[in-house]
Amino acid sequence: MSKHKPQDKVVSDKLLADQVIMLPNEMTPERDLWPGIERAINHNSQKITADKQSNVFVPSAWAASIAIVILMSWLTFSPVINDKNVHGLVKTQSEVSVTQGQLVNFMQQNFKQQKQTLLASYGQPTVDKLPAAMQQELKQLADARASIRTALLTDENNADLLNLLDFTQQQELKLLQQLYRQYQVI
Amino acid sequence: MDSQINKHKKVIDGKALFNANKAQSSDESDGEQAWIAQAKQGSQSAFYQLYKKHHRQIYALCWRMLADKDSAEDVCQEVFVVLWQKINNFRGESKFSTWLHSVATNVVLGHLRKHKNWLQRVFSIEEQGANVAEPSVSLTDDSTLTILDQHIACLPERARLVFVLFAVEGYRHEEISKMLKMAVGSSKSQYHRARNLLKESLTASDYISVEEEMNHE
Repeated sequence: MSKHKPQDKVVSDKLLADQVIMLPNEMTPERDLWPGIERAINHNSQKITADKQSNVFVPSAWAASIAIVILMSWLTFSPVINDKNVHGLVKTQSEVSVTQGQLVNFMQQNFKQQKQTLLASYGQPTVDKLPAAMQQELKQLADARASIRTALLTDENNADLLNLLDFTQQQELKLLQQLYRQYQVI
Repeated sequence: MDSQINKHKKVIDGKALFNANKAQSSDESDGEQAWIAQAKQGSQSAFYQLYKKHHRQIYALCWRMLADKDSAEDVCQEVFVVLWQKINNFRGESKFSTWLHSVATNVVLGHLRKHKNWLQRVFSIEEQGANVAEPSVSLTDDSTLTILDQHIACLPERARLVFVLFAVEGYRHEEISKMLKMAVGSSKSQYHRARNLLKESLTASDYISVEEEMNHE
């Protein structure tokens, strides 16, 4: 880097300082940087909006998910329901002459009634005006409910499935109530 | 030699541009305040005006600190994305350009740290070793750069960062030592090292002769 130069050709501290002061404070990038910036900030805005929506939804979704997992675990790993209990349930049902199918239908009608009353109290809002993520969650709950109902029709005398159906219905009602309370503008 | 004269001329042109911009910036301060207020409310068109006004300065800062055109362009974009996210933090206690430069400096240093960490993980490079090494970058033939900028780009990373932050951006050694996580004494010694390396390399490239030739024209 160093070469021998005559004294008057050596760059001094003063000359260097002068040149630093004269440095341009602007340079022009070769490519247009704005489109990339615009894309990034739009992407971030969408992400923030989505995060906000999911934040609203998270507590209720978590609560429902945890409860379902606990219930499912309990159903899976708890000691097998002994014959006495099953006979007891069957006996109770037979005593009042109600089949499981009838009970399921009754629960379903009751659920629909409660849901209708709830929606009426919020001015009959339509689900399609809720954010997409929440519509999806509601649909999943409804699908789960439908699956349990189908399983009950083929699995006679399953008290646990009945309890699970009841639980799912209650969760759906609670969730709807929470959502419409938050989105009363809908 | 002619090309060197032309490059040197750009330094003088650069100063003219710098002064013209200074005069213009005071006239636009009211407009800038309005853009800042609107950008805080989420106006992208106001933010675009801020970008248009400041991006060349921020790009110059990025280029000088990173000494690489592509990285400078990428990091300059990152600076404005961060600015969009943080613009509500600007309380008007300092000039907007000063605040923006500090945001930009942090983004550049963050980029360098990430890059260095990655390199260290992959190649197990010792930090000190990388700093002691003589500049390996050769003078770039980018005609848009001043001669001095080309020589600054050839400095070792730490010396270059300290020189740009102290001599060009006007930070104090105490501030630089915090930013670069080094002792104040190290910041000062890196600055002296950078100055000596620059004087040596400019002398070797016959910088004064070029200047004299230009003055005789």
